[in-house]
Amino acid sequence: MEKLDIPQGTLDLMILTILVREPMHGYGISQRLAVLSHDQFHVNPGSLFPSLYRLEQDGKLKAEWRATANNRRAKYYRLTASGRRQLERHRARWNRVSFAVTSVLEGA
Amino acid sequence: MTLPHRLMSMLRWIVRRDSAEQDLHDEMQAFVDMAAADRMRDGASPAEARRAAVIDLGGVEQTKERVRSGRHGAWLDDVARDVRYALRTCARNPGFTAVVVITLASGIGANTAIFSLVDTLMLRSLPVREPGQLVELLFKYPRDPRLNMYGWKHYERFRDQNHVFSDLVAMSAEPGHFQVTGPAYGPEVVDGTYVSGNFFEALGLQPAIGHLIGPEESQIGSPRAAVAVITWSYWQRRFNLDPAVLGTRLVVDNVPITIIGVTRPEFFGLQLGMDPPLWMPIALEPRLEQPSRLLDGSALVSVVGHLKRGVTREQAAAEMRVLDRPRLVELEARGHDVQWRSATTDVEPAGAGLSILRDRFASTLRLMMAAVGVLLLLASVNVASMLLARSAARRREMAVRVALGAGRLRVIRQVLTESLLLSTLGGGCGVLLAYFGAHALVTIIGSGRSPVGMPQPLQIPVHLDLPVLAFAAGAAITTTVLSGLVPAWHAFVSAPSSSLREIGTAAETRRWRRFGRGLVVAQVALSVILLSGAALFVRHLTDLRTVGLGFQSQSVLQITLDWSRSGYNREQIGASSRQMLDRMASVAGVRSATFAAMTPISGSGGGQFVNIQGFSESPDDRRRVSLNNVAPKYFETLGTPFIAGRDFAPEDEGGPRVAIVNQAMARYYFGASSPLGRQFTFEGQARPLEIIGVVGDAKYNDVHDTPPRTVYTNAFQGGNRWTFVLRTGMPPMSVVPHLRSVIHDTLPNVAIGRITTLAEQVDASILPERLIAMLSALFGVLAAMLVAIGLYGLLAYTVTRRTNEIGVRIAIGATGRDVIQMVLTSALGLVSAGLIVGVPAALWAKSYAATVLATVAASQAEAPITLPVNPIVPVAIAVIAMVAVALAASYVPARRAMQVDPMAALRCE
Repeated sequence: MEKLDIPQGTLDLMILTILVREPMHGYGISQRLAVLSHDQFHVNPGSLFPSLYRLEQDGKLKAEWRATANNRRAKYYRLTASGRRQLERHRARWNRVSFAVTSVLEGA
Repeated sequence: MTLPHRLMSMLRWIVRRDSAEQDLHDEMQAFVDMAAADRMRDGASPAEARRAAVIDLGGVEQTKERVRSGRHGAWLDDVARDVRYALRTCARNPGFTAVVVITLASGIGANTAIFSLVDTLMLRSLPVREPGQLVELLFKYPRDPRLNMYGWKHYERFRDQNHVFSDLVAMSAEPGHFQVTGPAYGPEVVDGTYVSGNFFEALGLQPAIGHLIGPEESQIGSPRAAVAVITWSYWQRRFNLDPAVLGTRLVVDNVPITIIGVTRPEFFGLQLGMDPPLWMPIALEPRLEQPSRLLDGSALVSVVGHLKRGVTREQAAAEMRVLDRPRLVELEARGHDVQWRSATTDVEPAGAGLSILRDRFASTLRLMMAAVGVLLLLASVNVASMLLARSAARRREMAVRVALGAGRLRVIRQVLTESLLLSTLGGGCGVLLAYFGAHALVTIIGSGRSPVGMPQPLQIPVHLDLPVLAFAAGAAITTTVLSGLVPAWHAFVSAPSSSLREIGTAAETRRWRRFGRGLVVAQVALSVILLSGAALFVRHLTDLRTVGLGFQSQSVLQITLDWSRSGYNREQIGASSRQMLDRMASVAGVRSATFAAMTPISGSGGGQFVNIQGFSESPDDRRRVSLNNVAPKYFETLGTPFIAGRDFAPEDEGGPRVAIVNQAMARYYFGASSPLGRQFTFEGQARPLEIIGVVGDAKYNDVHDTPPRTVYTNAFQGGNRWTFVLRTGMPPMSVVPHLRSVIHDTLPNVAIGRITTLAEQVDASILPERLIAMLSALFGVLAAMLVAIGLYGLLAYTVTRRTNEIGVRIAIGATGRDVIQMVLTSALGLVSAGLIVGVPAALWAKSYAATVLATVAASQAEAPITLPVNPIVPVAIAVIAMVAVALAASYVPARRAMQVDPMAALRCE
């Protein structure tokens, strides 16, 4: 089955959600996204990395180089306090949007 | 928190670009490594896994670029890249860059320097309360400069009786010189000003420390009046900014005075050009001056005040005319001078300071501002044509960039960035030039004769402050827009359409070449205006220095002696002075020696009414004759021709009083008959003087004036304050050492005062004209150079473009002469076109220049002379200069054209 494109504007929300559990590097985020979406979503690194850089610039993420489990060096992103707040706001809004959309579709 | 964070991050990307790039690169690499490792675990071969991982990433460089352009501040990154690219381009063509930067710097620098003076003298507000409402009172005696100078009793009357000012304050019309002894220094001579009790409060001035003079310090006779306020700069110079200065005693002319306060650093008084350190209540005057001029009401003060809300200057002037009337009537009665009836009273804005310097320099500065404006325009056009020529030469590069996918806007932004960079460099250098230029100008202005009552030299505080720098930035932006728009437009029009193949389409190239030629024509036209102006002003200056002076100013030395410590009385001074004449005349190199109460064009002088039996005139025509008191050989020494009669002789001493008159005097009083042997008396004196000689007319105290009717009296029959005047057979200053020793040997107790040359004295009096001539000549030469550069650039470019054609011509038999002729014809064609536009404009500008010269003369002279302003000669000079410039500029391109090797040229295509 063909994989889905990530809906406009939700990539940031997903990145923040994934990072709230533990810090992770870019490749890890893309893998985790595939797993969590039951392989429905495929994130293009050409979109993932610009998002990561912008979130970092906005102070939502903080990046540092660390060793991975396999003893490679990778750049790990973790959520800042501001990123946490952003996640809560976005999640609340997403919940309202998805509730509203579901309601409309079921009501029809 | 987000915004600073974001800014920091943007900045890091720019400043630490390499490490940021490395970081990005490493991250991409890590991604590929991890993806490849996963694939290898699934059984792929290392090479295959890696390839798949890169594809998965979507291409390393592509992703990097998406990260870069997706970041905040990506535009900044682009700008930084444009700037870097522009810097590289500039560095690759150092010659081109230098010429452009120098051109812009001269234009911007000249404008900024002149503007800084305009700002200081005409625009900048005094640091006082409501400067917009501040006005000064002025009166004008016919043919004199306007003066703000009133007796104290009249000030009091104005203050108490007017209905138009919310306050009216007074300060000494001229600062006095006081001998001051401080706690740990002095005695030294310090300038000081008296002020009315309401001065500081009404002007809203605040102290830096302590308090300022108020009404309580202004009671005459009160011990509290023995106080002074000092200025910040004096506090700094003498007390090292020590706050303990408050309460310190100064001894001022033997009177102990307490310092009660210090003014703020920005305060210098109300008159630009002077900055007296000592400010004292006028109530102190009777203790410091004997006899007091305050008590008899004759102390002279300048009067300044704020207009009441809703009162216009015209209304205030109308009331002041009425209030000033009694004073003018009094002056008329006292001097038997009906001219006072025509005196006028005015109320003028004083928010930028009192008017003396403005009146003197305003028209000069306005003219210079116009000249530098033209120069800036010329520089812009010049740079535009240089950039255009280069952008034409860079079309191949532009086309390559377009072919590689650069957008049209991207290319234009690049071109504009280059213009902006050049303007910024030019502006920076320009401000630097302006800094030195403005200080040089201030020094030159200081070398001139100060207006009456102003210190010598003038202290003009020129700063490159915010308004001036803003102006420089404005000038730089103007040049960017003017000079950058054309090449940008060129890039806009030609970039997208020019595929590599299309370069050099004949029609398009021709259109831009025509435009480039138009720019050169404009340069020629503008510089004709500047050059003819320069020729006019230089000529006018030469005329002022020489035409109709009535004396020879070259090789004349003037020496004053300071008798104050000699202990001589008047008679002894007179006798010693006369003895000195022979000694001085015997010094090697001195041709003749004399002395005079006043030397020509010194700015000072005196006048008297004369009465002649049998001569009557209407009171309105009555004028004072100008006076001088001179020793024998005065006319010989100065080179004033003798018309009739004899010179004064030492033997006149003790004999009947004799006088020599000039032709203007003789003509007025005696018409065609001979004045020799006739007698006259000075008004108020009984003893007649007999006229024994007639001399040629000579200018008196100002070169702008026609020679007045003049009477010379014999220094051997009275007088005691003279300046020695020597005509030398060698450069005048070279006799000074010998002269010093002669004076010292003869009069050991007498100090030598000022030593100057007459030529310097004349020059000091025509400072505005010298300034105009000097600056306009400088600007004219600059303009000619800019034209030469512009023309050279265009011709060189044309010759390069036409190498093929020239090669063909030579191949089919054109001689070197033909080729040179071709280049010269096109150069002269351009110049002729420029002249067709420029000459009428120059002739039109001439009338403006003549008006300015007349205004300058009128601001200094009683009856200004009108030197003929020849409209043709300066323009002719400018035309010849332009043709010469054209020939010089075409020399190198013409030679290069002649040396084109036909075979090489043909093979090139």
